[in-house]
Amino acid sequence: MRARDAELHALVGAYALDAVSEHERARFERHLRGCRQCRDDLHGLREATARLGLAAAVAPRPAAREQTVQAAGRIRQVPPSRYKTGTAWHRTTQPWLARTSMAVAVALVAVAGGLGWHLSTMQDRIATMQHHDAAIAQVLGARDAVTLTASVTTGGSATVVMSHRADELVFTADGLTRLPSSRAYELWLMGPAGDQPVGMLPPESHGMAGPMVVGRLAAGDRLGLTVEPAAGSLRPTSTPIVLVGLGG
Amino acid sequence: MTGPVGGQPDRRGRLRRGPDRGRAPAGADAGGNAGSLATMLGLVARGDEAAFRSVYDKAAPAVLGVVRRVVRDPAQSEEVMQEVLLEVWRTAARFDPSAGSATAWIMTMAHRRAVDRVRSEQRAAARELRAAVASIEYDQVVDAVEASLEHERVRRCLAGLTDLQRESVVLAYYGGYTYQQVADLLGVAVGTAKTRMRDGLIRLRDCLGVD
Repeated sequence: MRARDAELHALVGAYALDAVSEHERARFERHLRGCRQCRDDLHGLREATARLGLAAAVAPRPAAREQTVQAAGRIRQVPPSRYKTGTAWHRTTQPWLARTSMAVAVALVAVAGGLGWHLSTMQDRIATMQHHDAAIAQVLGARDAVTLTASVTTGGSATVVMSHRADELVFTADGLTRLPSSRAYELWLMGPAGDQPVGMLPPESHGMAGPMVVGRLAAGDRLGLTVEPAAGSLRPTSTPIVLVGLGG
Repeated sequence: MTGPVGGQPDRRGRLRRGPDRGRAPAGADAGGNAGSLATMLGLVARGDEAAFRSVYDKAAPAVLGVVRRVVRDPAQSEEVMQEVLLEVWRTAARFDPSAGSATAWIMTMAHRRAVDRVRSEQRAAARELRAAVASIEYDQVVDAVEASLEHERVRRCLAGLTDLQRESVVLAYYGGYTYQQVADLLGVAVGTAKTRMRDGLIRLRDCLGVD
């Protein structure tokens, strides 16, 4: 064994205890891929560190349970990995992004209370941010996907690709009129039960705004776009500049 | 059940490593019993909310326990605990029983996230001050019997380590320190801290495995 490998190998205990720097963590994980022995050792040591954790168990606040379950309902799950490496299962494809989104979800749940409307908007945004590509692929790939386009009264056009089976749609717009920085486009689900904010349309890039993924469609919903103060509104404060009927 | 997370198979010496390396499969708690955490994770991966509640019930106290040890601040700890459980929900499909037990999978995530939180938090002093003020209302004793059984078992095994091994492991795991920091705290060379962590964990693993 080369000296460098031996040195890395000795790191297995510190790594199992998360007692390494970011840099060493990355280095050791690269080493792990090619070191069967290290993986075996690591698995055993992790069972041991898990027990150190179990020994410290304390009861969470009872209310935390429902908060967590509710937040989970708003988070799209990842599909099984095609690659079972057997080593890096703690790694997710976008660790920092997932971490951020999860923290936001938790923070939102914590402030939920009387802010139900806000929560659902934000959580839609989180879901969008987190699994954008997967969700878009799912909708676009759905067998029952239909595409609707509509003109925006103030300029530009909106495109909706919708799958009832996936219970989701993808919204994009192009050629929208540029707004002053104090204003922004906000997307709404406008249905019999009232207007639900979906979220602020991200600024255009390459002439296209979005895509935004909208889920949990209800019968009679229409998708509307309005111009709102940049921070967003609780309820639409202006007439929709495009309104797309979703059927169903 | 040996603790709030985990299961009976722990008793079968999953962690034992004999000369023939004849330990039980790493994912021993993935066995067919319907209530096992690994089975539950399979259901969670398919979006089963009831299964997620069960996983929460089994895992949350241990997750919170380790996070509390590392993060200290009760409110932040609860936040991290919820993040971990949500990560379990999100990535349940990625759990690979051949790479270790469900318990280890979850606890690894929990400890990693707690440590990341502490290291990204520069204001350690502020954190501890807040913790001191806020700790009381959050502290509750859970299932005292289960927790104390596991606690006792681990305590006994820790006692079998050399002082340096034990201090290195405990400072790293419960304190969230890096091995360089542990070396400084104990006044030993960094290489020493590193190897004591490894040797200590191996001994701990063997002791817990032959339970």
